[in-house]
Amino acid sequence: MAEYVWLIVLIPLIGFLINGIGGLSSEAYRKQKTLIGTIATISVFIPFLIALQIFFGMGADSEPYVARLFTWIEAGSFSSEVAYRVDQLSIIMALVVTGVGALIHLYSMGYMKDDEGYWKFFAYLNLFIFAMLNLVLGNNLILLFLGWEGVGVCSYLLIGYWYGDMAKSDAAKKAFVFNRVGDFAFLVAMFLVFRAVGSLDFDIILNNLSAFTPEITFWVAVLMFIGATGKSAQIPLFVWLPDAMAGPTPVSALIHAATMVTSGIYLISRFSSMYVLTPEAMLIVAIIGGLTAIVAATIAITQYDIKKVLAYSTVSQLGFMFLALGSGGFIAAMFHVVTHAFFKACLFLGSGSVIHAMHHVEHELEHEGKDVHFDPQDMRYMGGLKKYMPSTYWTFLLSTFAIAGIPVFSGFFSKDEILAFVFNAGMGEYSYIYFALWGMAVLTAFLTAYYMFRLTLTTFHGTFKLPSKVKGAEDSEKYLHESPSTMTIPLWILGGLAVIGGFMGVPDFFVTTFTSSDIKINWLHAWLDGVTSDSALVLSYGTKWILVAIAILIAVFATVLAYRNYDNDKGEASDAALEKRFGSLYQVWSDKYKIDEIYDASIIQPTFKLSDRVLAVFDMKIVDGFVNAVGGTVRFFGSLLRFVQTGVVQTYALVFIIGVILVLSLIIF
Amino acid sequence: MEILNDLLNYLPAAIVAVGGLVVMMMDGYKAKSRLIYQTTMFFLAGALVIATYDLLYQEVGTLFSDMAASGSTAAFGTFIVVFGTFFTVILTHDYLIGVKHNYPQVYPLLMFCTVGMIVLATANDLVTVFIGLETMSISLYALAGIIRDKQLGVESALKYFILGAFSTGFFLYGIALLYGATGSTNLSEIGAYTDGSMIYWGGVSMLLVAFFFKISAVPFHMWTPDVYTGSPTTITAYMSTASKTAAIVALVLILERALPYAADQITSTMAIIAIMTMVLGNTVAMVQDNVKRMLAYSSIAHVGYLLVGLAAGTDLGFTAVLYYLLAYSLMNIGAFGVVAYYEKNHDVHFNNIESYAGLGYKQPLMGILLSVFLLSLAGIPPLAGFIGKYLVFAAAVEAGLINLVIIGVLASAASAYFYLRVMVYLYFKESKEPVKLMKPLRVYSFSLVVLAVLTLYFGILPAGITELIASYFSGNGLAIVP
Amino acid sequence: METFFFVFISTLAIGTALAMVISKNTVNSALFMVLHMLSVAGFYTLLNAQFLAVIQILVYAGAIMVLFLFVIMLLNLDEDEKVVSKIDFKQLISFTLALVVLAQLLYITGNYAGVLPELTGEPIAAVGTVEAIGDELFTTFLLPFEVTAILLTAAVVGAMLLAQKTSNVIDE
Repeated sequence: MAEYVWLIVLIPLIGFLINGIGGLSSEAYRKQKTLIGTIATISVFIPFLIALQIFFGMGADSEPYVARLFTWIEAGSFSSEVAYRVDQLSIIMALVVTGVGALIHLYSMGYMKDDEGYWKFFAYLNLFIFAMLNLVLGNNLILLFLGWEGVGVCSYLLIGYWYGDMAKSDAAKKAFVFNRVGDFAFLVAMFLVFRAVGSLDFDIILNNLSAFTPEITFWVAVLMFIGATGKSAQIPLFVWLPDAMAGPTPVSALIHAATMVTSGIYLISRFSSMYVLTPEAMLIVAIIGGLTAIVAATIAITQYDIKKVLAYSTVSQLGFMFLALGSGGFIAAMFHVVTHAFFKACLFLGSGSVIHAMHHVEHELEHEGKDVHFDPQDMRYMGGLKKYMPSTYWTFLLSTFAIAGIPVFSGFFSKDEILAFVFNAGMGEYSYIYFALWGMAVLTAFLTAYYMFRLTLTTFHGTFKLPSKVKGAEDSEKYLHESPSTMTIPLWILGGLAVIGGFMGVPDFFVTTFTSSDIKINWLHAWLDGVTSDSALVLSYGTKWILVAIAILIAVFATVLAYRNYDNDKGEASDAALEKRFGSLYQVWSDKYKIDEIYDASIIQPTFKLSDRVLAVFDMKIVDGFVNAVGGTVRFFGSLLRFVQTGVVQTYALVFIIGVILVLSLIIF
Repeated sequence: MEILNDLLNYLPAAIVAVGGLVVMMMDGYKAKSRLIYQTTMFFLAGALVIATYDLLYQEVGTLFSDMAASGSTAAFGTFIVVFGTFFTVILTHDYLIGVKHNYPQVYPLLMFCTVGMIVLATANDLVTVFIGLETMSISLYALAGIIRDKQLGVESALKYFILGAFSTGFFLYGIALLYGATGSTNLSEIGAYTDGSMIYWGGVSMLLVAFFFKISAVPFHMWTPDVYTGSPTTITAYMSTASKTAAIVALVLILERALPYAADQITSTMAIIAIMTMVLGNTVAMVQDNVKRMLAYSSIAHVGYLLVGLAAGTDLGFTAVLYYLLAYSLMNIGAFGVVAYYEKNHDVHFNNIESYAGLGYKQPLMGILLSVFLLSLAGIPPLAGFIGKYLVFAAAVEAGLINLVIIGVLASAASAYFYLRVMVYLYFKESKEPVKLMKPLRVYSFSLVVLAVLTLYFGILPAGITELIASYFSGNGLAIVP
Repeated sequence: METFFFVFISTLAIGTALAMVISKNTVNSALFMVLHMLSVAGFYTLLNAQFLAVIQILVYAGAIMVLFLFVIMLLNLDEDEKVVSKIDFKQLISFTLALVVLAQLLYITGNYAGVLPELTGEPIAAVGTVEAIGDELFTTFLLPFEVTAILLTAAVVGAMLLAQKTSNVIDE
């Protein structure tokens, strides 16, 4: 079955072409919204089924299968072939991309129903899936990089999807520029790898790691990680992701939560055997990850825009994953990638459902003839929505339980494993730093549970606050309604996965402690053990259980605290209390650590000034002078040429004769 | 019957020749122009099928007592020429009706011209080369001048004719000198010569001069901008692709078979001519405001890239050149096709770049097609133009011509400016006056789409065709016949 | 004897060619060209190519030149049109360049003297006959010969295309 892997990649491309060409060339086709949506969804769903088939045909000990399609360019020692790799790691990623992707396509059919550029949206989505599959299935760095760039482009297109809005197209540009910074580092890493090994094929690189000197290993690892910080929104390049929420909500769910942003984690997991050779690089990864996690979590507490909260939460969770990578828990990181894809996609889609409803309210009020405007994403206008949107509420709640790390929900297992690995790394080199990171991670876990329940409770519990807050919106709750079934079905599926998804990675010691047998119940660990180079867990049973207990306590404590503070419309009072308690610190959080401002002051403004004061002068005096000189020269030669290109045939013959003399002289002498 | 066998192996040329005669007679009996066009297409389609078959299966050998070659390079050249003609005729028919110059004599002339090109591309003897070259040129002189109510058309045709005759003189002189030195006009027999008398070198340089003229390398290019601008646009496409393909395939054959002894001198000469051609073509193209004239200079620049491959003179270089010819034919016919379509809706002044403002949105398909072709001409991956340039430069690097490659890459980078400039006008400028574009004929847009798809296809999957071409030069492909 | 004949013919050929270019009167030019063609025919006879010599006289000196003269007379060109009126800058350049090319060509061919293989006797005498030429044309040079037919047809069609008055044919 694995030899059909190319179909997985090809079908989304076909979907893109059908919708793209159809929509571009025919006005009538653009109106067939159901058809367009169905084609797009099916062209992701079929690859999912194929991936599933391949997956069932594999075992944990299956050899990697490489489908070599054709050689793209071959020149001397450099050859680049289009080849797709099926192994335990890539198939998991492919399943997540196509599975979650298909659900989000289905959801978008409802969400984007009234949009003008419906066909364009689905064409972009399919193109994104195609690029993403190239990224995760490619067998060499070139193909991975093509996918890497491809998802960047699609992300740019989709963030700026409503490009009529200046802020939105600015957000798209910002995302693109920040990604490019990372991409540049990644390119340099590729060059280094090629210089050292002479190939960009995964197998060849990973089998020839001895060809790297320690310095090269370190730099390749760090540069790849810098590439990952761009794509996966880590310090210092994370600021684009919150702004990227300007795109349609399904895009946020698919690209900026479930798939694209995790490609950095995939990349590092793929090269895990290289990373373990350079503990310094691992430490850098862990520190950046840990810092990002806590920084983003503290910002998330202060936000009122529900998508912004989720965006910072995503950044924070990605930081968690990098922390796991840096601590040697590659499988733990992949585990969190998968569970995070489930619950975060569900949360985003849920928020989309809420925004959809609030938009509807605004729209209906306008219909009534009232001139009412409010931000449909601001949670302070919401509240009490659980009565009106039960499906959205319940799935949102389940996912919140999952991300908060409440036991038996999926996030509990994955987060617990990460904490265990960070603690475990503290047993080795750089022990104090890792212990500090562990402390930060525990704090982050607490914050995560806290802000997520803050969000859920403020949005869905209490009373609907719009009528009391906005003049003219009285009785507007009658317009609230549940979203259509194309939107709620994906919610329920993802919600269900968010609940049970954790059971693929139940730690072995849950059973072995009591049975003292050597039984392996951690399916995911067994599955990925062959393709990643996980550190060994050296913790005793006691320590492990204590860590679990801490995780549970933290999660439950945060939940209870949030419930006390935010249920029954107490939200704003509690936020005010929080602000008072933390004072200037809170101010820092709500100002997002002023990172955008720092960039502005340290890079953007100086650049402007430089260009204004120095370069402009340089430009006017020197460059312009030079250009004018060049222009003059060109014009001079142009006039010479005009003299030659007179249209007089004798002149042409004259030049011909000069050529004859030239050729004769060159050949004879 | 040996002659029958030879004829079977020479079927594409025979079919086109017979077709030309048939459509010529049909004109004599006042057949309707549409019928003439259809008959032409019928014969060309037949020739194309056979040429494709030959491309894949024809045995390597010589025909007509060593006068012509079959298989490998010859089959490849034949294929591109017939392929190019096929699409040119489709585009030309529609275009000429549009600009109201649909003369029935155009079709037989195109067919005879194609015969000349095939003979040229398959020649294995300098006599055949000469006859092929002349057949092609004489037809082209006439074709260049068919728009007679414009001063430019007649004038350019006359210039083309005079200068062409001039270069023919050099060519004949070159043949004579080479015959004097080696005692033969057969390519392989000339190739066996290793004496290096002065007269041999004189012959080589005269031969090169004539070819440089035909492929419009600098400084023999002077006629090109005038003729390309003055000719009907689709004929320009034909001249710049099919005739150059035929001439360069013949040149490859001559260099490979007849002049291996002169390889070093030829490399240095080609390198200098290539530099001049690339630099001049690209710089002058940059300041053109007339899109057709810009494309004329761009075609000069592309000859420069081809010369880089010829300068390399290695098997890899020749492979690259043949691939480049294919890619170039696809994208250049395509680009001229779209330009012709725009022009057809207005008049020749429509070629000014200003008048392209905002056209990309008027007929989106045509806008996209032009963009694809221009991007390919600029050498942007993953289109065929990129692979072509890449192979050519790679071959030159392999041959140690680093300086040449540096200049070539710089020139090529600069060329992006004037290709993208057209796209900027297509999409980012508002048109001043409202322009109404007719819907293109279905067959017209379809054939352009085919070209665009092939451009993309050979850009993404060049491996198959490059392997095929490379096999021509790896030993058995060009077994020299005694 | 042969050498004397060769020198005579060569002088005549070069002289008439120059006279043709320099001559102020177009009719005179054309007549000088006839002479030039005749002297070229002389070369052919020297080389034992009798058939070619006859064809040269018939076709070039006869048919083509008569056509030329007709055209010149019909167009009634101005007799006083001077080819060499005054020496200007461009002509000076042209002249210099032509001299350079000539020097180069002389350099090439000058080195060639004496390399030519001596060919005498019976086989040479048989080369130029109609029979020998016909034999070659229809065996070895069959392909170029046939393609020449196409060439001529193309030339005729092209001339018709350029000369005719009828314009666009529209029958859709």
